[in-house]
Amino acid sequence: MEKNRNALKVAVVAVLTAVVVVFTMIVRIPTAKGYINLCDVAICFIAFTFGPWSAFIAAGLGTALADLFSGYAQWAPISFVVHGLEGLLVALIVRQKDSVTIPFVTKILAGIVCMATVSLGYFALSAIFISGVSVAAAEIPWNLLQSGVGVVLGLALAAAVKRAYPPVRSLAW
Amino acid sequence: MTTNTFVAGDGFLYRMDPRAKIMAMLLVCVFLFLGITLEGLYATVVLLILVGSVNTGIQHTGRTFKSILPMLIFMVLFMPFNVRGGESLISIGSFTLITREGALQAARLGGRFIGITYACTLLFATTPMTDVMLGLRWYRLPYKASLVVTLAFTYIPFIADSFIQITESHRLREGGDLEKKRSVFKRLKDLLPTLTSALVVALRSIPYLAMSLEQRGFGRKEKRTSYHSLDSYRHTFTDFLISFTIPIVLWLIFKA
Amino acid sequence: MNYPTKGTQDPCLDIRNLSFTYQSWKKEKNSPVLAGLDLRLEHKSKTLLLAPFDRGKSTLARIISGLCPKYLPGALEGSVHICGKDLANTEPWELLLDCGYVSQNPQEQFVALSVEDEIAFPLEALGLTRVEIARRVDSALVNWGLDDLRTSSQQELSGGERKRVLLAVQQAIHPHFWVLDESFDDLDRSWREYLTTLIREGEGTTLVLASRYLEQFEDLFDQFALLDEGKIRFGEKAEILHSFSILCGDELPNPLNDQKILIQDEHTLVCSSLLTVRIRISTLEAKPFKLSVPSFTITSGDLVTLVGPNGSGKSTFSRLLCGLDEPKEGTFTLDGEEMNQRELNRSVGYLFQNPDLQIFLPTVREELSWSLKRRKDLNDRQVDAMVCECATLFGLDLEETPSTMSYPLRKALQAAVYYLLDRPFYILDELDNALTYSVALSIIALLRRNGAGILLITHDRKFARLVSETTYAIEAGILERA
Repeated sequence: MEKNRNALKVAVVAVLTAVVVVFTMIVRIPTAKGYINLCDVAICFIAFTFGPWSAFIAAGLGTALADLFSGYAQWAPISFVVHGLEGLLVALIVRQKDSVTIPFVTKILAGIVCMATVSLGYFALSAIFISGVSVAAAEIPWNLLQSGVGVVLGLALAAAVKRAYPPVRSLAW
Repeated sequence: MTTNTFVAGDGFLYRMDPRAKIMAMLLVCVFLFLGITLEGLYATVVLLILVGSVNTGIQHTGRTFKSILPMLIFMVLFMPFNVRGGESLISIGSFTLITREGALQAARLGGRFIGITYACTLLFATTPMTDVMLGLRWYRLPYKASLVVTLAFTYIPFIADSFIQITESHRLREGGDLEKKRSVFKRLKDLLPTLTSALVVALRSIPYLAMSLEQRGFGRKEKRTSYHSLDSYRHTFTDFLISFTIPIVLWLIFKA
Repeated sequence: MNYPTKGTQDPCLDIRNLSFTYQSWKKEKNSPVLAGLDLRLEHKSKTLLLAPFDRGKSTLARIISGLCPKYLPGALEGSVHICGKDLANTEPWELLLDCGYVSQNPQEQFVALSVEDEIAFPLEALGLTRVEIARRVDSALVNWGLDDLRTSSQQELSGGERKRVLLAVQQAIHPHFWVLDESFDDLDRSWREYLTTLIREGEGTTLVLASRYLEQFEDLFDQFALLDEGKIRFGEKAEILHSFSILCGDELPNPLNDQKILIQDEHTLVCSSLLTVRIRISTLEAKPFKLSVPSFTITSGDLVTLVGPNGSGKSTFSRLLCGLDEPKEGTFTLDGEEMNQRELNRSVGYLFQNPDLQIFLPTVREELSWSLKRRKDLNDRQVDAMVCECATLFGLDLEETPSTMSYPLRKALQAAVYYLLDRPFYILDELDNALTYSVALSIIALLRRNGAGILLITHDRKFARLVSETTYAIEAGILERA
């Protein structure tokens, strides 16, 4: 009999959302100016490993919650849309049949799309709703850097986790 | 790290029905984007800060302001580039530094930003998360969605805790020599094992969580009832009336 | 097989010829955990099923509770019926009122934000009225002494409190059949006694799975069984207990007795007049937590135990000793020289209770060589030789995937990682938890082989006596030689 896996879907999305929140809030690598947070690492990992729906919800919800807890509630809706879209698009690009390794070109494409989504998404939405065009434009390089690091580390992490914990394959839906 | 946004208190905002409060927050945010006078915008911002101080205390209001200060300064510094045309206010030689239009627009953006910040922060500071979720459920948020949020809340401390312990345990199994300075790149690379362990610990818990949900009856055909309710909020109708009236009155007074 | 669909004659639990093999993630197949197991429990029976750790006890509980093979995949043969319902075509939520399961690891069963919500969750799923839910939640909270913790989240609870919450959840649901996997563990004496009373006076059927025989089990059960080699065997109490102790290796000689150890350079770690103060986050206890250590000494080759109840400060002391936390007052000296935190990090190895926090690589070989490869004084061939020797010593297969190995093997791997680091001192945190005494003792013996000084932390005084005569204890915030 075909077993109903609704509980699994809820569990996967909830735990991944929590992962995104933790990666965003706890892991902060100090650089010359300010911090890089790892939310894009978590999002790319999820997109590479779990597919578009989990990536969309966990990425959007996770970053929105992280904004809320850090006292930036006003950013939550924007983060939800931008990062949700980021997760969804990256996952759609790399999605494929089982056990075929992702071609290098696809990875590059996913990387470009990810960086473009984050930087342009934040630019457009915060230009319209929050900070105006010039301030939003000044954030672009920063967002490019952070999402670039995200794609590279996310890919490495997806490969590492698949090898270190093979049953992860049975969790994707 | 904390997942708590609630600030204990007993002001009138705390007694306001969360459903009405959510509505009020949305309407205030919409109002801030409508065509209103600059004076009106700042009058509303002052009102919001006053309401905040009365309910959550001056300290909390101050903290909120501090958190958005860098962004505000940034906006002011970038003001000259916002709008080039128009009447010149300050100029060095023939180079216009600030135009009147630029200054006005920066003032409007800044005011709006402060306004939205307080509207959102006040909702979550004066409403316990369970009540926010109950309110959203009343607005037809599906049960599964609210369950995902609640479960994420329960797993955040667990994952954060494992993450810290993993970092420590990796520190204890360092081989090699003591190195003082490491580049950002090296630090990122060193992070990979820690992140991998953290993810494996988190992912391992997924099958057990799914099992527990099912064993606790998730998936049953009965219509789910609710242990908590918003019944303790006594003045739902009045609260909704206030939520609608105030933004509309503000708009009538301040529309440009 | 012709099986009646539902009727009063159905036994509470009927397992026939059950075999189970976890899905393998490598090329080789796993060996079966359960092989041709039969178990039939009549209504109202109270059964104690003994099994050493890692012999399929928890797998059996997971099959009964619906976790295997649905979420932990594997090949299942045979049939399982609970109250006449065939598990092959029954979903776990349909068994809510038939079978309640309390798992060995309480962390994995929490689904709500607070204790009261945890108890209310299944009652909401049953569609009970708000009044009825509130009544059952309140009485379960009072019965299990959780009323003060009503709004606490599970992160704030101790291990014993978590177990009580899960038992309170079952009491509120009130299923016919209780499956309790190591539920007496972590409970204080008075709560153990309350649970015994519940089982004794209850109308339902109870199956208790345990890996240690406790005094509270006296006169509680009407049948005794042993799980060995994937099968269940019933028998007389005395005979079952005897076979069980042989299975656990209790008769084996203690490897620590007369162990010859090789001390190359002797080191002495001394800490004196240590004081640490921690403010508890929990709002219930306003008093800050204090631990003071007037004097503590450990020398190469020493075996020292530290005992004390949960929450007394054993872990706090370990964290100070290995340099993870900084004390408020006091100093650490190694061979007379004062040590800072980073130096302590590299002199004292701390084996966390949970081995998974230290395991991350895809094979045992990579896991063991990870730290060695970062040392500049070793070449690849030397590393390989050390790794191979160490794996043989600890009984590990170099090509296995750590995250899917059994718990005792993961624990052994964790110890092996530290063995290769060759620290002068080790702290072993609750090593005997989920290991038989004999496995735990052999791990200690291995780590000690090259003369390391060992501090063993445990709340089991019986195990502490097996390990050493030098015992420290924490009482009223002071750590002293007992």
